[in-house]
Amino acid sequence: MSVDVVVKEGDLAEMVEQVWVSYLDPEGVNPLVPTGDAKQPSEVHSSVSITGSWTGHVVYASSIKAAKMAAAAFLAMEVEEIGVEDLSDVLGELANIVGGNVKAMLPPGCFLSLPQVVMAPDSATKYPSAERISGLYGVWDGEPVSVSMWQSRDGRNEGESA
Amino acid sequence: MRAMVIDDSRAMRMILKRIVSKLNFEATEAGDGQEALDLLATMTEVPELALIDWNMPNMNGLEFVTRVRSDPRLREMTLVMVTTESEQSQIVRALAAGAHEYVIKPFTEGAMIEKLALLGLVPTGANS
Repeated sequence: MSVDVVVKEGDLAEMVEQVWVSYLDPEGVNPLVPTGDAKQPSEVHSSVSITGSWTGHVVYASSIKAAKMAAAAFLAMEVEEIGVEDLSDVLGELANIVGGNVKAMLPPGCFLSLPQVVMAPDSATKYPSAERISGLYGVWDGEPVSVSMWQSRDGRNEGESA
Repeated sequence: MRAMVIDDSRAMRMILKRIVSKLNFEATEAGDGQEALDLLATMTEVPELALIDWNMPNMNGLEFVTRVRSDPRLREMTLVMVTTESEQSQIVRALAAGAHEYVIKPFTEGAMIEKLALLGLVPTGANS
């Protein structure tokens, strides 16, 4: 069984702020503004799975427009130039960075998977046998962005996929 | 000066290449440890610096560091892990394997330049 872990919205917010300051908004003029709206729509999802003493997933989700803005900031390109491969790469790295920092808050003995990116709305993105335990929901330049943490219900390591 | 950026994320390679290029490094890149070793084998001049992600397919950063440290031709390279692996135990593992420095993602450009200055690879104050 995986242990129960409390990673609060404030912890996620701190990590996300670091990501914004480092890569997406180094000038500090366009931060992610929390809304607390867990039902906000999303069109793309990237996730990493964590196994070991805690099992579950860390999910980065946003609109396509926000994903393109993130990719443009990372790659120093114009939003109009961003292609699917650019989106996939940047969203994967965002999930990897947030997931890696979440892992550091978990008990020792956790392992991080490589990221997985799904270009599909939230209605088509399922995390079987897992429940959301924490989430940060906000808007970036008016576009929805969220980071959420999903814990496996039974804590088993096998048979799970993000 | 030459630098090699090793990360499976193209986005992260671009960010790191931008930083080292600003510092007048000539940058090459590889998508994993094995690709980096293959590339190094073809080079007549070994880069002075490698910035290395930890979690990569094919060969991870820790194994790359271990392989470089056991190769007399590559032994002079300065190795900096650039990774989300931020637990103390992982940092100790990387340093024990032969990494010189450790930078945790996310990092700012300024923080990376400071680390490189500490290693004597760029002048102190290059960040200002």
